[in-house]
Amino acid sequence: MSQSPAPVPFIDALRDAADLRLPGSGLAWLDAARRENLEAFIAAGLPDTRAEAWKYTALRALGQRRFALGDAQATGHLVDPHALALPGIDGPRLVFVNGVFRADLSRLETLSQGLTLQPLSKVLQNDPEPLRFALSRHYREAGDAFARLNAALAGDGVVLRVAPGARIGKPVHLCFVGTPAQGDVAWHVRNVIEVGEGAELNLVEHHLATASHKHLGTLVSDIVVHDGAKLHHALLQNAGEESTLIRRGSVHLGAKAQAMMHVLEIGGTLVRHDLHAELRGDGARFDTRGVFVLRGRQHIDTQLSIRHQALNTASESIWRGVADERARGVFRGAIVVAEGADGSDASLNNKNLLLSPLAEIDTKPELEIYADEVKAAHGATVGQLDERALFYLRSRGLPRAEARALLTAAFCRAVFTALPNETLRDHFSDALLAHLP
Amino acid sequence: MTIENDSPVVLRDNAEVAAALGRRYEAGFVTDIETDSLPPGLSEDIVRQLSALKGEPEWMTEWRLKAYRHWLTMPMPNWAKLNIAPIDFQAISYYASPKNKPKSLDEVDPKLLEAYDKLGVPLHERAKLAGVAVDAVFDSVSVGTTFRKELAEAGVIFCSMSEAIREHPELVQKYLGGVVPTGDNYFAALNSAVFSDGSFVFIPQGVRCPMELSTYFRINAGHTGQFERTLIIAEEGAYVSYLEGCTAPMRDENQLHAAVVELVALEKAQIKYSTVQNWYPGDEEGRGGIYNFVTKRGDCRGDDSKISWTQVETGSAITWKYPSCVLRGDRSVGEFYSVALTHHRQQADTGTKMIHIGKDTKSKIVSKGISAGRSSNSYRGQVKVEKGAEGARNYTQCDSLLIGKKCGAHTFPYMEVKNPSAIVEHEATTSKISDDQLFYCRSRGIGEEDAVSMIVDGFCKQVFRELPMEFAVEAKKLLEISLEGAVG
Repeated sequence: MSQSPAPVPFIDALRDAADLRLPGSGLAWLDAARRENLEAFIAAGLPDTRAEAWKYTALRALGQRRFALGDAQATGHLVDPHALALPGIDGPRLVFVNGVFRADLSRLETLSQGLTLQPLSKVLQNDPEPLRFALSRHYREAGDAFARLNAALAGDGVVLRVAPGARIGKPVHLCFVGTPAQGDVAWHVRNVIEVGEGAELNLVEHHLATASHKHLGTLVSDIVVHDGAKLHHALLQNAGEESTLIRRGSVHLGAKAQAMMHVLEIGGTLVRHDLHAELRGDGARFDTRGVFVLRGRQHIDTQLSIRHQALNTASESIWRGVADERARGVFRGAIVVAEGADGSDASLNNKNLLLSPLAEIDTKPELEIYADEVKAAHGATVGQLDERALFYLRSRGLPRAEARALLTAAFCRAVFTALPNETLRDHFSDALLAHLP
Repeated sequence: MTIENDSPVVLRDNAEVAAALGRRYEAGFVTDIETDSLPPGLSEDIVRQLSALKGEPEWMTEWRLKAYRHWLTMPMPNWAKLNIAPIDFQAISYYASPKNKPKSLDEVDPKLLEAYDKLGVPLHERAKLAGVAVDAVFDSVSVGTTFRKELAEAGVIFCSMSEAIREHPELVQKYLGGVVPTGDNYFAALNSAVFSDGSFVFIPQGVRCPMELSTYFRINAGHTGQFERTLIIAEEGAYVSYLEGCTAPMRDENQLHAAVVELVALEKAQIKYSTVQNWYPGDEEGRGGIYNFVTKRGDCRGDDSKISWTQVETGSAITWKYPSCVLRGDRSVGEFYSVALTHHRQQADTGTKMIHIGKDTKSKIVSKGISAGRSSNSYRGQVKVEKGAEGARNYTQCDSLLIGKKCGAHTFPYMEVKNPSAIVEHEATTSKISDDQLFYCRSRGIGEEDAVSMIVDGFCKQVFRELPMEFAVEAKKLLEISLEGAVG
């Protein structure tokens, strides 16, 4: 496709991005990868709704906006560390404000044995070589636009390693804070996380804002869970209500590896969440539980894809969506069972509540099966609250709004019953309730 | 003769199965009669010539040209999960008609009737026995229409599309392209430009069509594409059940079939459209076979109307087909029942669209996919509930059965809901034939092939139930034949 006739401000703002000094600039391999990804992003531009992966999420409005290339004052913003705390989470913490690492807000003194936890900016300064493979990747797929942009411009993020056999007791808290700055900022964060053989890790990823802002954040997380390792990942996305967040996580699981992910998405005005899991080793298991609750003009597009590539792998996905007011929720849940992945057991369940005549839900569960010794099933529904249940609550004296909130919360809460950290589970419930209209 | 490498040894040694595997496509014979065709190629001239050959009025020629010009601007769609070799539209002859045109059934070339005989089409006497009125389309031109008189008495018009253009231009002009516009999609545009014939059905107000109507399509001459256009109109309170069957002879090269079917149901009208598609699927290695690109759409225009699609798809190298319902009228109902079976290297991407526009509209989708050999079988469906579709209800069930390790079964449902009072449900499962079921049957002394065919039959029952009786029998038989040698 040749260049579009009208200039796209979003792309236009990247014109000088190639000259940007980022952590790691000067490393020949990194410079080359960044340059190539930037060129590829600019050449392809933002995807439009004709691309299947963006069918329900139009980026035209985003294309008309101009973002500053990072926030130069990011280390200076005043952020109350208490606002970052999550109940029940008192382990190591890594904090990024507008995409930049903040040592003053982080807690890295008492790391358990076997845990390496550093900001990417520091690793790029001191010992970048081990990241060479992960960071020189070129994203070539049509749907990879933002991964390219991220690869071109990310200068910070999380580098986390758990040594083989290490069991990290206290959850690691990753905190991404958006805060108002001069103008609208685009920040890009890149996480590289590795859980060694037989190791265990608890991860809490938390997106929040200190005040309203209109930044764009992109986050790419590559997670590898080696043979026999276990990962529990809880994601609380409560980003600024006018912010845009594009998150892409990929999880690769080795033999008998297990990963469990809990996701609660309530923040942001435009959120895109891509989550790809590849079950590469025999006996691997990947479970996700997720909820999005939307109101106002929020638009959240969740794209879950799970690929069974080895024998006797299992995955179970349970997702709930609620859209009220003028919100639009998009869910795609794709399960692929590759040729030879016999004994795969995959299920996906997606239920949605549509609460307003101006809201919309688009859901698309998919199955692609290339092996025959499999059990694969998916179900999806879109509906509304049970009038009889509402009536029952109202007959007990509950005001309509309250009854509605109670039923909606109950609809979502089931998803978090398996969240191991009880205090965190309660916090998720509270955050959810607080977000209900 | 090939047997899948991973077939159990038991089967490999079974002579009977081996013989079944080598069985040839039963409808694969070529009828040797002279045909009168246009030279291969596609241009405005060809479209004009085609229109002139058919003695069409000016408005029809213009309509075709408009579609052709639109088609030129369109790219071939590539979103389906199909691997299609490039199609050379210039190598296809867009018109082939038997030379000695018959005046009545008695004058029909006996060879042709013989061909229908082999296919088991109940034409002529058999038609009467079966109580079916047949509009047989043989290489694009309708050769004989039975039961015209009886139908005419009821006020039903059932004739070929060419005839309808001549005799009922007002109806054709009013409805043609009203459901599937000329520029709707690539293949619909192509069809609009070059469609050669098809069936036209008009059921006037309040009439219940006294018999089931049926068309048999057959591609005979080599290098020809078949482009039919079917239009069925059911006026207020009318009812019609329409049957369509398709076969084609065996050839090495791929042949193109791009049909358009339009249904219009006015207030309280009901249309039931059943298809058994058994186009030549190509051989074990995927050589030859029909490319089947079909646009079928029904418009429930009136309140309380109902359109029901039932399809059994066992043939074609490539199937690209999404019979849809636009539920415009309040309380209108759309139904889609489908069995799609792919074997060897067949590819199918088929499903439906249910567009809910009117209030309290209902739709039901039951899709059963069976893949065997190295085939690929996808269900692709869309359920869309528009803002005003208060109380809309959809239920979708898609089940896939895998037979063998080299095939694929896929499900791509799209659900778009804009009304908070709508309820949309989708369920899908994929599995292979359960060993327990097989073992049970085997322990009762039922052979493996028969057991599989019984289980598959049970798997499809929900859809077969919707077929008219004689079609259900045929469909069951077809499935058995298509599945022969697939057990592994």
